[in-house]
Amino acid sequence: MAEIAKVKFAWRIMDLVVGGVFIYAGVVKAFQPVRFASDIDNYKILPWTISVGLAFYLPWLEILCGLALILRRLYLGGLSILTALVLIFSGVTIAAKVRGLDITCGCFGHASQNWSFSGHLALDLVILAALLALYFKVTSENRLQNAV
Amino acid sequence: MRQALVLAALALLPGIGQAIYFRDKVSWQSPIPASEMVTVAQARAWDGNVIWVDARPDVEFERDHVPDAVPLNEDRWNELLPQFLATWSPEKRVVVYCSSQSCNASREVARRLRGEAQLKDVFVLQGGWEEWLKSRK
Amino acid sequence: MRTRIFTFTLSIFLCAIARAELKWEQTAVELHPTAGDKEAVGHFKYQNTGSQPVRFKSVHTSCGCTVAQSQKEEVPPGEKGEITATFKIGDRTGTQVKNVTVETDAPNHATTVLTLKAVIPQELEINPTFVFWGQGEALKSKSIVVRASKDFPVKQLKVTSSSPDFQTKVEQTGNGQFKIDVQPRETTRAIAAKLVIQPEDSPKVFYATVSVTNAPATQ
Repeated sequence: MAEIAKVKFAWRIMDLVVGGVFIYAGVVKAFQPVRFASDIDNYKILPWTISVGLAFYLPWLEILCGLALILRRLYLGGLSILTALVLIFSGVTIAAKVRGLDITCGCFGHASQNWSFSGHLALDLVILAALLALYFKVTSENRLQNAV
Repeated sequence: MRQALVLAALALLPGIGQAIYFRDKVSWQSPIPASEMVTVAQARAWDGNVIWVDARPDVEFERDHVPDAVPLNEDRWNELLPQFLATWSPEKRVVVYCSSQSCNASREVARRLRGEAQLKDVFVLQGGWEEWLKSRK
Repeated sequence: MRTRIFTFTLSIFLCAIARAELKWEQTAVELHPTAGDKEAVGHFKYQNTGSQPVRFKSVHTSCGCTVAQSQKEEVPPGEKGEITATFKIGDRTGTQVKNVTVETDAPNHATTVLTLKAVIPQELEINPTFVFWGQGEALKSKSIVVRASKDFPVKQLKVTSSSPDFQTKVEQTGNGQFKIDVQPRETTRAIAAKLVIQPEDSPKVFYATVSVTNAPATQ
């Protein structure tokens, strides 16, 4: 029983850490939306107007999804959105590197401007792994509950 | 899926609020901040208090330019900057233009005037030289 | 009916295999011109990996400071070539990114954007490059800070004013860091001067402008 409690606690810590990371990432970008819009524009994938729209929208989406993980409300929805966001961020970071673009914006906006490409990608992958672990844990718990 | 849609919809509220709050700081059409761009009409309204700066290559300036405009391009920045500064005074507004909205030269010249020479009231002309020509007709 | 289906399928098949495609070795090139270089040239190599010739419809650049040329107008299958982009450095500083848009008649990737990035070395950072006094403003000296980049160590700086109306004094404030104090002789009339800033043992010169403007000093 104590073991189960420990495991549950560990998963809960993971919720808090991952949620906290996204809230931090969202807040950093929400403070400087114009700069974040330039960073998105630097990937040269989207038109400027869309970059501006995303710069105002994405940070709040990250903050709300991070809160969803911490407060365990709309949990699965938050997890799905964050997983999709990290997959997209990783994809465009790799694409930018392949295209030789000078990208300073990863998950953390300008706070991560001194990180290397591999540093960015490594963090993205670690976060993705944590999100996927939480996702599979929740979906297998739901399946078990439905079976019971 | 429903949960994701709820979160996505909820995030729209602060996003829209922030977009309204920052509406003067960002232009949705162009990467230049709205507060740093002026239209031809706005610049003309400033009348005698404007210095027009032509950021295009020399050959284009010689062909035609805004009356009384001063050439200042990055090809000959070191030579042209002192000549421009000789015409400048603090109460004047500087309007930089180049070939069109997609040309970067006016933005770069404006950026260097603000950053290196630390001038205030430096603006980029919306629509560039083409917009000026249209307003002449 | 069967013949029509066969012909249709055959034509689709033939279209699929008879493709024209230009494969680029790289679409982004980073250049590091040395101090004193007037131009930076980027070479974008390609090969036609398709079975149809590829024709260049247009090659144009994002600004007048970059000229791009294609060696050939038409590239036969299997042939290689390159687009040369020449970026005129002029008095530009910092990292410059210029795009070359290539349009071809290849059905996939008809338009390719090539990116030329030139990192222009900046030996000295001068801040600000313009110092001024208003008419009637107090006769106080103002400072210009000069920082040498790590790749260009500077031990001494020589500053000369083009006009005796301005006095200058240079002080070393740190490793590769200097302060130039400038003061006009008077602020009762409009005067201007160009300061020539030259690192010792370097032929390269840098500039700053100083002036007493026509307008009165603002409080």
